[in-house]
Amino acid sequence: MNDRRMMWFNFVRGLCAILISLFVGMVFIFLCFLFNGATKGNAGSSIVATFGAMRYMLIRPLFKANGAFNSMNMLQVLAAMIPTIFTGLATCVMFSANQFNLAGEGSVMVGGFVAALCGIYWAIPAGIHPVVCVLVAAVVCGLIMLIPALLKVKLGASEMVTSLMLNYVMQYVVLHFLNYQFADRTKGSTQTAAVRETANIAEIIPNGSKLTWGFVVALIFVVLTALFMYRTRWGYTIRMIGINQSFAKYSGMKVGSVIILSQVIGGVLSGMGGGIEVLGRYQTFLWKELPGYGWTGITLAILADNNPAFIPFAAFFIAYLDKGCQLMATYCDVPVEMIDVIQAAIFLFFAARQFMSKFRQKVVVSNTKADLAKQEIPAEGKAI
Amino acid sequence: MEEKDCVALMKGITKVYPNGIAANRDVDFSVRKGEIHALIGENGAGKSTLMKILFGLEQPTEGDIIINGEKVVLSSPNVAIAHGIGMVHQHFMLVPSLSVAENVVLGMTPRKGLLIDYKEAVRITEENAKKYDFDIDPNLKVVDIPVGMKQKVEILKALVRGARILILDEPTAVLTTQETTELFRQLIGLKNQGYTIIFISHKLNEVKEITDRLTIMRAGKSVGVYETAGITETEISKLMVGRDVVLKVEKEKAKPTDTVLKVKDLEYTNEWNKKMLDKVSFSVRKGEILGVAGVEGNGQSELVDMLFNLNVPDAGTAQVNGENILGVPQKKIRNMGVSLIPEDRMTYGIAGAATIEENMISDRVDQKKFNRGILFDMDALKKESDGLIRQYQVLCKSDQQQVRMLSGGNIQKVVVAREFSSNPQLIIADQPTRGIDVGATEFIHKKLVELSRHGTAVLLVSADLNEVMELSDSLIIFYNGKIVAYFEDTSTLNDELMGEYMLGIKHQSPEEIGRVCHE
Repeated sequence: MNDRRMMWFNFVRGLCAILISLFVGMVFIFLCFLFNGATKGNAGSSIVATFGAMRYMLIRPLFKANGAFNSMNMLQVLAAMIPTIFTGLATCVMFSANQFNLAGEGSVMVGGFVAALCGIYWAIPAGIHPVVCVLVAAVVCGLIMLIPALLKVKLGASEMVTSLMLNYVMQYVVLHFLNYQFADRTKGSTQTAAVRETANIAEIIPNGSKLTWGFVVALIFVVLTALFMYRTRWGYTIRMIGINQSFAKYSGMKVGSVIILSQVIGGVLSGMGGGIEVLGRYQTFLWKELPGYGWTGITLAILADNNPAFIPFAAFFIAYLDKGCQLMATYCDVPVEMIDVIQAAIFLFFAARQFMSKFRQKVVVSNTKADLAKQEIPAEGKAI
Repeated sequence: MEEKDCVALMKGITKVYPNGIAANRDVDFSVRKGEIHALIGENGAGKSTLMKILFGLEQPTEGDIIINGEKVVLSSPNVAIAHGIGMVHQHFMLVPSLSVAENVVLGMTPRKGLLIDYKEAVRITEENAKKYDFDIDPNLKVVDIPVGMKQKVEILKALVRGARILILDEPTAVLTTQETTELFRQLIGLKNQGYTIIFISHKLNEVKEITDRLTIMRAGKSVGVYETAGITETEISKLMVGRDVVLKVEKEKAKPTDTVLKVKDLEYTNEWNKKMLDKVSFSVRKGEILGVAGVEGNGQSELVDMLFNLNVPDAGTAQVNGENILGVPQKKIRNMGVSLIPEDRMTYGIAGAATIEENMISDRVDQKKFNRGILFDMDALKKESDGLIRQYQVLCKSDQQQVRMLSGGNIQKVVVAREFSSNPQLIIADQPTRGIDVGATEFIHKKLVELSRHGTAVLLVSADLNEVMELSDSLIIFYNGKIVAYFEDTSTLNDELMGEYMLGIKHQSPEEIGRVCHE
């Protein structure tokens, strides 16, 4: 079959999923206007308002009202990609091995917390201080991931269930220590003391956009993860186990160890994302619930079809949409939760394998016919 | 021929699978009332697909189906059954733990209140068995009955559901000679009662013996309909493959030397408490092909599973060059020089969604020559896979193509290329050519002989009599988990004798069988 045409098909399929989800979002926004706000009960002006809101969502992250390029918004969008790139990569690695480990969410929180503590209590020279903090966070999260991984390999417990539960264990353990040990009582809200200045991750351009050097690190890790998955024997083994575990076993691969490895790497990457986010954006630890980056990471991995190289694009798309929805919520009287509706719709269409399968079948049929026309009855067994 | 004579008519059927394989291309097919009609062709010629369409298991991409003069859409097997079409699959669709009667009435179970009316089920089964002259006991559990009887249960199942057209997919593939004779007697009985039978096969002598007409398929197309009486076997085989099939395998006489594989007193009882391996002992020497024949399900698969640690026996030993291989990780078994062509290539042999290259290297990615530090040496990998594709004549566009997009024969060549190229001392080939085309079969046979003549020990497990008799230097026969016969020289063997051993009518003395254990 024509592989390039199938690639096109996948691209078109993705685009359609996105457009349909935007349309679904639009319908909901329209309903919001119709039942609430100034245009209540007036379908005509609700439609006008809907298009106004869509303009905010889709165009305003890039351009100001006067049409000039909005660089500040843009930098903020890039900054928002930092933690989700890491969780997206983590999910890619784990999903590639067919391990539906969902503990990336909790790992981000633990990673952030551990990095913050290292930043507060350890005196290390600037430059290497944040590196040490993030590495410690990564190691801790990698070790935590051993729990669902070992339970899976040794006892056959579904990693999906154990990791999902583990998220809440991680959340409340962190909250316990935050509330009873490390909270800074001089602050108005529950948060730790600020990390030492040496542990801060600086902005690339110091302008308050929060686009820190963490972004560069994230991109470096995209390259490293892609290399790992497609250019090393371990990444290869992870992918083969994901495609066919029986085949991997029969081929002599160490299935159990590699399943554990994939989940540990997932924990390491998620933990790094959490650590970098806390040291870069907040310089203190103030999360009181799960930050949601782990869930976004799952969306990204599905959008990127588990290919690390596509994660930055998926992360940009989601961050852009996020920013657009925030602007829309601020200026247009549309609830900020709309981003969740649109994300969920994209998620549904991407995850649905049969979506557009009829169209796919048509592509396949026409491809096959074209192939057959070229070579009447291919002679099996003849060398190429 | 007049269309109105036909009970089933398929016109212009084209079927393209989602993986792009065109299994049927503009096929016309028709059967008359009260005939036995053979549908023949090589593996992969599209017979099964055509019949799956007629039974509602697959939907045609193009084409019409007309049953009893009425155009129908067979959207599912239930619809097909309602139109009087029944199918007996090659692999039986029975529930082993239920009785014959329960299997026969499955899905249309007679009830007494909330409970199953078992007596009524037995009555229905007995009545129908008598009507069609089938000799079966409704009270036996399916797991306990022989293959031939299982097939009868399947046929009865279809008849009880009102089938007037019966599709039999390679019904004799799993039967012994004696069971086949019995089946034919019954099929002719059904024909005389006005039933129509579609008989899928590639055994030409059987087709000649029993059918009235035949349709020949090649490469997804119908190449003609013939009266069976008016065509010779040679003509049929020419139409089937478009060239003369050479089934003879050229090979020198084996000169076996040291023992490589030594199996002693292997025992295994499966989860349904059936003894699948009963004190199995044999050895395979360098430079010989030892065939393992037998009707499927007599312990051959279990034996192979044990030898590659896909299962663990209850007792016994197995050694390769003096080193234990039972319960040892596959990596270590492979390092000892053991290769396996697995029976189920889609489950074990390949990772379908991965590329050809990735499938070629799965057992050797750890080797130094394919790695530069922690990274792969992509050039070395490419060279390896391209070399194997060329050497094993895998028909593909590039090594980056997904393996599952290839035809069955080419998929098997990928498996064989990997397993044969690792410099093995022992090759376990389990059904190495099942379901693939003649060209690929011939190629794999040739390679297997070549390797054995260069000193590799080969254990060939095959349910294909032709294959196991032609290729093997010496041969053992499995029946009921036991080795019942050993033939040091296969050249004097014939089908009938084999059939008697395979059916358990005859067995050799322990002394005769013991000769297969070489020191």
